[in-house]
Amino acid sequence: MIQPLFWPRFRQDRLAVASLLLIAALLLIAIFGDVIAPYAHDLQNTDNNLAAPNAQHWMGTDALGRDLFSRLIYGTRISMAVSLLTGVSALLLGTCYGAVSGYAGGRIDNAMMRGVDVLYAIPDLLLIILITVLIGRGVSGVFLALSLVGWITVARLIRGEVLRLKENAYVEAARAFGVKDVRILLKHILPNTFGVLIVTLTFRIPSAILAESTLSFIGLGLTPPAASWGTLANEGWKALKFYPHLIFFPGLAIFMTMLAFNFLGDGLRDALDPKQNKVS
Amino acid sequence: MKALLISLLFIGLVASFLWPSADRGTVESEAVFRMNLTAEPPTLDWALATDNVSIRVIENLMEGLTAYDAALRPQPAIAARWTVSGDGRIYTFHLRPDVYWSDGKQVTAHDFEYAWKRLLNPATASEYAYFLYDVENAAAYNTGRIKDADLVGVKALHDLTLRVDLKKQAVYFPSVTTFTATFPQRKDLIERYGDRWTEPAHLVTLGAFRLEEWRHEYRLTLVANEHYYGDRPALDRVIFYVVSEETTALTLYETGYLDRVTLPPIAIPRYKTHPDYVRAPFLRGYYYGFNLDKAPFDKVKVRQAFSMAIDREEIPKILKGGEIPATSWIPQGMFAHNPEIGLAFNPEKARRFLAEAGYKNGAGLPPITLAFNTDPTNRMIAEHIQAQWKKNLGVTVLLDNMEWKVYLQQLREDTPQVFRLGWGADYPDPDNFMNLFTSTSGNNNTHWGNAEYDRFISDAASEGDPSKRLALYDAAQRILTETDVPIMPLFFAAQNLLISPEIEGLEVNAMDLIHLKKVKRKPSNKVQS
Repeated sequence: MIQPLFWPRFRQDRLAVASLLLIAALLLIAIFGDVIAPYAHDLQNTDNNLAAPNAQHWMGTDALGRDLFSRLIYGTRISMAVSLLTGVSALLLGTCYGAVSGYAGGRIDNAMMRGVDVLYAIPDLLLIILITVLIGRGVSGVFLALSLVGWITVARLIRGEVLRLKENAYVEAARAFGVKDVRILLKHILPNTFGVLIVTLTFRIPSAILAESTLSFIGLGLTPPAASWGTLANEGWKALKFYPHLIFFPGLAIFMTMLAFNFLGDGLRDALDPKQNKVS
Repeated sequence: MKALLISLLFIGLVASFLWPSADRGTVESEAVFRMNLTAEPPTLDWALATDNVSIRVIENLMEGLTAYDAALRPQPAIAARWTVSGDGRIYTFHLRPDVYWSDGKQVTAHDFEYAWKRLLNPATASEYAYFLYDVENAAAYNTGRIKDADLVGVKALHDLTLRVDLKKQAVYFPSVTTFTATFPQRKDLIERYGDRWTEPAHLVTLGAFRLEEWRHEYRLTLVANEHYYGDRPALDRVIFYVVSEETTALTLYETGYLDRVTLPPIAIPRYKTHPDYVRAPFLRGYYYGFNLDKAPFDKVKVRQAFSMAIDREEIPKILKGGEIPATSWIPQGMFAHNPEIGLAFNPEKARRFLAEAGYKNGAGLPPITLAFNTDPTNRMIAEHIQAQWKKNLGVTVLLDNMEWKVYLQQLREDTPQVFRLGWGADYPDPDNFMNLFTSTSGNNNTHWGNAEYDRFISDAASEGDPSKRLALYDAAQRILTETDVPIMPLFFAAQNLLISPEIEGLEVNAMDLIHLKKVKRKPSNKVQS
């Protein structure tokens, strides 16, 4: 899977490298948040609420006098955890399901895909609501709900890719040599879907951030005083006209992260694509 | 999900360009008043309406036997005058002969008799039926203990005379008859149209305005009623837009599409110096109730500890609208208000009480959930109280929010351990606030009942001597907020409004009643807007 030319090629894509650094920095912030944050995320000071950014509070304070910078750092942890974990787990589930379905073909494929169709017909939000109502509120509820919804699209994409790839001559050749199905799937087909997977992952992550804030908005997401970028933005936009700092900083965080994931996805796909490898 | 958001944004944009421009045209030719409703009115049937949105519309379509003046004293309306018997038990209302429904039919005492019996009929299932429980046999008929409606103490002696027999004296009764639930209704129309009698095509009313158009989830239009018995209103047209988002309403006000708007807390500091800004007291209490059937709130010490652990002085700093911190329940501006009553902030004592209840430093407490209906203000307060309980008691409380209709259902079916509710005055008498927590009140969600409290409230209702009445309410308030503590009052609300300078005569009263019949739009600005 690892291409010999990966690093030299990836390095040339300046935007992708910068994005990688930004995402790495965000991960560090998420992990060491407690050390970096100047205040506790739920410490209230009603005598100093809705303060504009200043020396004590770099990003100002919210309506309850909580330090926005500290809350944003705390939110980084939750948003990163929720989006990465749901992205990866949706990817794993979807890839397994889609690959098996696509490779097996015929009746098995038909049955598996009709199951996906049924789930696909139910609106995402409705499914998420049902799952969170069953599991209960909180980070784990949001995480499970988003993972269980996210894999459906991935499964369809991967199945399509596998269907296309398995008709290739090299798969035929491998089969002629008597290579076992599992090995063909893992060694010869799945590595070629990597580009699609990376692109999907970079789209899953921002949409997970969005879905998490949607859930919090309708009262099924995180329970206060926990904060994610979504909940911070949700609180902030109502004050857009009066206290723009409340929406500016969470908005900036979401915006930069989404851009970074998209650039990184582009860079990775270009660097990893085995077909380009052959040409060069 | 993203596509959905984008398309919603797009629709919103297009709509914002299209819909107000149509109204601009009408403003030029006639006097219009426009304001927003915070939701689609659930019903326009005044026997069933319990929420302030429906009542906001109904109070401009209808009138009752009596009506409030600017100081919230009941004055004659459809009843030209009334007499009270010596023992205060029999009211005889003499109706004006010149009151007509908007279809031209005369209003008679029979319309009142029908309406009151319909309100009390168990089949109507009105949540406000208990409003007339002062009437002889009303409670018995409403709860199904007697089947014969004729035993209820309301009778049209003839077309213009209505006799009401009370079960005992109720000094505030002429205030009760100002309330929408007691307004007259048309038997013939309700029987002919069934549930559809409130549709614009069928609805017949008698107030200064009549309903012209009701476009659901968008707007209601009222026009001056040519059959109104009083002076024709100065406004030709009233438009209520359904706009639930506070900041959206504020933007509509600023761009000149609304004439009156309520400020969200976050906007108040910025508008304090605005020439249109109006602040007024509000007979509205905000409280957290405890469910006494659920641990740990079955223990009075726990309830007292939770109430004492809150520094209510913090709340106005957050809401910024001139709210009054409250430990007692009868609001400021009402008879028998007493700020000395209630459990003062005392974190040491609160911790001691919690320990005495067997939960030292919160150890051994079951998980506690505080529920509220989804709303930015409720959420801010809940998060703040949550932090205070954590700081002062060491107790971690979970928050749970639900949409309004779901929330009300939850309160009825499976009341959360701690829940938020507010109560706005229906009539400016302490009975309206204190009656709420009697064991027979349909709006008491605490599962608490205290026979002594019930008796104090019932005695106070018929007590004519103000000093004795005050003593009864003081004693009852002490039971409610000091010894039994089924609720912890938090604050009394305030009104923070913007009212357009083009509007004249819009009285801001402590009950947030908006009577538009005397409102004018300044003629000089009529063409400009």
